[in-house]
Amino acid sequence: MEKLLFFVYSIGILIRIYLSFSDFSTLIADRVEVSTPLNSWKRVIEGVSLYNEKINPYDGDLFHETPLTLVFFSYLTSTISDFYVSLVFIICDVFTAIVLYYTSKIYTANLLKEQSKTKSVYNKEFNKLLIPNNFLIINPVYVFSVYMLNPYTVFSCIARTTTVFNNLFLALCLYAMVKRLRFLGCLSLVLASLPTFYTFGLIAPLMISCASTDSKKKTGSFIITLLTCVAISCSLLYLCYIIMNEWTFLDSVYGFILNVRDLKPNIGLFWYFFTEMFEHFRALFVCAFQLNASVLYVIPLSIRLRHDPLLLATSLLALTAVFKSYPSIGDVGFYLSLLPIHRHLFYFMQQAFIVSCFFVGCTIFAPTVWHLWIYSRSANANFYFGVTLAFATTQIFLITDLLFAYIKREFALKHGMKRMINGREARLMLD
Amino acid sequence: MGLLTDPSVGHGALTSIFVRHHNRFCILMYIASVILFCMLAHDSFSSQTYFSENALLPGLVKGQLNDNSGPSFKDHYKELKAEAQHYETETPHPYLISKFKHLRLETYSHNFTLNYPLKKNTVYTGRNVYGILRAPRSASIESIVLSVPYRSPSSIFPSTLPGLAVMFQIAQFFRQQMYWAKDIIFLVTEHEQLGMQAWLEAYHGTCCGSPGVLNSGKLSGRAGAIQAAINLEIHSEKIDHIDIKLSGLNGQLPNLDLVNLAHRLCNKESVRHTFNNVDGGAIGRNKVNTYYTNLSTMMSMVMTQATGVPDGNHGLFHRFGIEAITLEGYEKKGRGIYVSVLQVGRVIEGMFRSLNNLLERFHQSFFFYLLPSTDRYVSIGLYMPCLVLLVSALFLKAFSAWIQNSSHQKLSDSSSTQSTISEHMHVGVVSGIVLGSHVIGLILLPNFAPAYFTNFWNHIPTHRALLLGYTCVSVAIVCLLPILLKKCLNSMKVSNWVLLHVICLLELGIGLLCVAMHNFSLGYLTALVYVLPAVCTKSSQNRIIVKFLWILVHPICSLFWITAYITYITFPELSIIDYLTKVVESSGQWMALSTVDNMVYGNWAFSIGVLLLLPVWTAFWCLMFLPTNLPQKSKME
Repeated sequence: MEKLLFFVYSIGILIRIYLSFSDFSTLIADRVEVSTPLNSWKRVIEGVSLYNEKINPYDGDLFHETPLTLVFFSYLTSTISDFYVSLVFIICDVFTAIVLYYTSKIYTANLLKEQSKTKSVYNKEFNKLLIPNNFLIINPVYVFSVYMLNPYTVFSCIARTTTVFNNLFLALCLYAMVKRLRFLGCLSLVLASLPTFYTFGLIAPLMISCASTDSKKKTGSFIITLLTCVAISCSLLYLCYIIMNEWTFLDSVYGFILNVRDLKPNIGLFWYFFTEMFEHFRALFVCAFQLNASVLYVIPLSIRLRHDPLLLATSLLALTAVFKSYPSIGDVGFYLSLLPIHRHLFYFMQQAFIVSCFFVGCTIFAPTVWHLWIYSRSANANFYFGVTLAFATTQIFLITDLLFAYIKREFALKHGMKRMINGREARLMLD
Repeated sequence: MGLLTDPSVGHGALTSIFVRHHNRFCILMYIASVILFCMLAHDSFSSQTYFSENALLPGLVKGQLNDNSGPSFKDHYKELKAEAQHYETETPHPYLISKFKHLRLETYSHNFTLNYPLKKNTVYTGRNVYGILRAPRSASIESIVLSVPYRSPSSIFPSTLPGLAVMFQIAQFFRQQMYWAKDIIFLVTEHEQLGMQAWLEAYHGTCCGSPGVLNSGKLSGRAGAIQAAINLEIHSEKIDHIDIKLSGLNGQLPNLDLVNLAHRLCNKESVRHTFNNVDGGAIGRNKVNTYYTNLSTMMSMVMTQATGVPDGNHGLFHRFGIEAITLEGYEKKGRGIYVSVLQVGRVIEGMFRSLNNLLERFHQSFFFYLLPSTDRYVSIGLYMPCLVLLVSALFLKAFSAWIQNSSHQKLSDSSSTQSTISEHMHVGVVSGIVLGSHVIGLILLPNFAPAYFTNFWNHIPTHRALLLGYTCVSVAIVCLLPILLKKCLNSMKVSNWVLLHVICLLELGIGLLCVAMHNFSLGYLTALVYVLPAVCTKSSQNRIIVKFLWILVHPICSLFWITAYITYITFPELSIIDYLTKVVESSGQWMALSTVDNMVYGNWAFSIGVLLLLPVWTAFWCLMFLPTNLPQKSKME
């Protein structure tokens, strides 16, 4: 396994290094699927040079990162050359993969521990539903390889999108969840959510996983986590204020995300809808769409998946990646690499084949149709939107399938795989 | 949402029906697709063409082009013919320039050079001449192009001098009018499509092919953004009919509105107009005849489009988002009523006046269509299902192979004592095969391999060297792979061939869909050829006939069959030996032409062959020779 891990590790790094320094990197960085107004490296550079020229980068409609990012990149680009900046991105990506590797390892170990405790409850018949011990070794390798070799994350890394850093903080947050480290969890969650806003929903799994098992202390623990997050966010925002000396960045970052001002096509669903819509309904639909993207699923899913915070985090990440206002394939790649963590659920998933076909198809179709639309001028926006719609539907199929697999597995563990009623096999209905 | 919320673990009844009878379904889809495709030519599937863009206002004004003011067409033509006689193989540039200047156009010339990519230090040069008529009623924001390819008397193609004389006549007339709101560019190109490509690249300041091949030079004068272009190829003073040509580079088509405009105005000026040299309309034909004519017209359009080679200079405009068509006037042979050049001139006048009315660039009407007749069209929504049926046969096959395998695994899992939820696949060999076949494809791309082949066999002509090179590589793949696989691998798990099989099927399916989005004809014809063997292939224990079928559809063999067919059609009188040498020779020429097209114009046909078909073919070939190690014959119940 070590050999395999090293092999994947070196292949992943080599691909990233090769692509970063070939002509493909600009080609990929200009793709709308990879770079959005929120994460594109071009905009970061523009903002940084404005900042260095003592012009407020938030005055125009160009820069939408937080002042913290601004200062960080200003420092980074002034101290090291372009070559090393690329390396920083690659190192961060690899580091994310390593963090995910350990997250998966600890999570699987926890699952196995729990299973051995409750094993006696289950019937002998369900042995084959139990998580085998080799998952402890294999799953982390899968997670690691998916993150290292997934074209989505690779493209995102070589296009130098700030999603790379975001993913790193998210990975740290997930690690903190399985390790039950409250402060690290809160800090990385806030760092990840400050520039992107939507991932704040992950506070729910963080609260659940950091809470102690004692039910009396649970509420107190929830509140402590919440307060820690709020305190960190407030202090970081205040730090931003100190850097910029004014609060205009709030509108440039959060106003931009929430009002969906930039309707440049991306893999999400906002751009087409808001281009086509009558202007005076805009406020209503912005609210509806944003609620759907940010808070709608957090509470019901938290209640249903309270015993498995990591699955909750995965599904929330996936849902925001589908529904957020400026999604990019870097987000999609991140939650896809979390899937192998839940490999014990794969047995119950039914749409895997169709979903993977659609993933591949949409990934190849989107640039084709884009080319027809933008370069050949023969197709139009509807073709591209069709593909992004199919992509979103596919992702929703995947998430639903995963969640149902969890429920089915729970049910099967308790009640057995086959239920016989009057000698015939009964079918389960979910109504 | 029963699809999503079905809580059972296995698969539904529908799925198992599909899986059990997938071969029958695949065959059924294949047949259905062919039938549907043939039905497209029928009147109930195609619709009457119409104008989407109201601003065109076709034929609202009376054509005013006449011979009365200034020199007549006859004068221009006589002068031009006399001039052309002096230059046996070249273009009379000084004459053209002085003529344009005499017509009071802003005249420029444009030089370009081609570094022939398959031979070192072979350089061709050329020179285009163009004149701009500045619009009196607007700034130079938009423009329309009227182009004529110049052909010297020694050219193998029919003369275009009458067309050039018409252009002079039109320029002279247009100069006097004051209603122009768009600049008009009169362009005379040299070396057929090469000159046109160079001019377009220079006009837009880009390079479309491989860098360093076509040096398109610089333009000293430009008009506004080109909205539309009409290419004139008129072969005689007495015209039998005007043929309207559409197919562009990589199968791109012009907006249907422009095509309709040409047909409508021809109708108005009572010029006999055709599409693919077939008259439109059903007058005087019975229903069956109409259907057959429509079908053959549509098929000839599909064939032209599938090559991806433009059938006139207009085809190079499409890439730049410019709608363009060619009007080709065929000579009237023998006696009888003919169309005069002046009538054609009035058609062009009408088209230019309509285009002059345009407020926005063409965007209404269709860009994806098939034409069974001059006045009927089949839209994308109707013809795409034909291809989707073929591709879904591939997907169904992949799906059932996957399901059969996974259910087989589940069965063996439950019987074995070791309890693993799913067996993980050793993907090394599979990814090696897939990657390897693509790397071979990449190496064989026109930018790498041909130069090497021509260097290696530099004493024989280029096209033979290319054919020899590609054939050697292919034969090596065909013969060596089975031996290699037998030697290196002792046994493979069932799941591994299934994985490879599924990857091949999916790649073929998705690739075909993408090709068809750009060039439906190419995608569909390729699908017709490749889907059949792909569906017949099983994951293991293939019969010899399937292997033979795969050999038959190898990209190079396919090229050979196509050339054989075309040669047979064009030269039916040749003896067998002559015929075969001719076929081999022209296959090589096709290949050379295709590589050069790829490097000069950016034609994709060759790349598709090398990057999609060849890798898929190679992977399928591997699949058939993977060592089999079936424990027991498994059947899905």
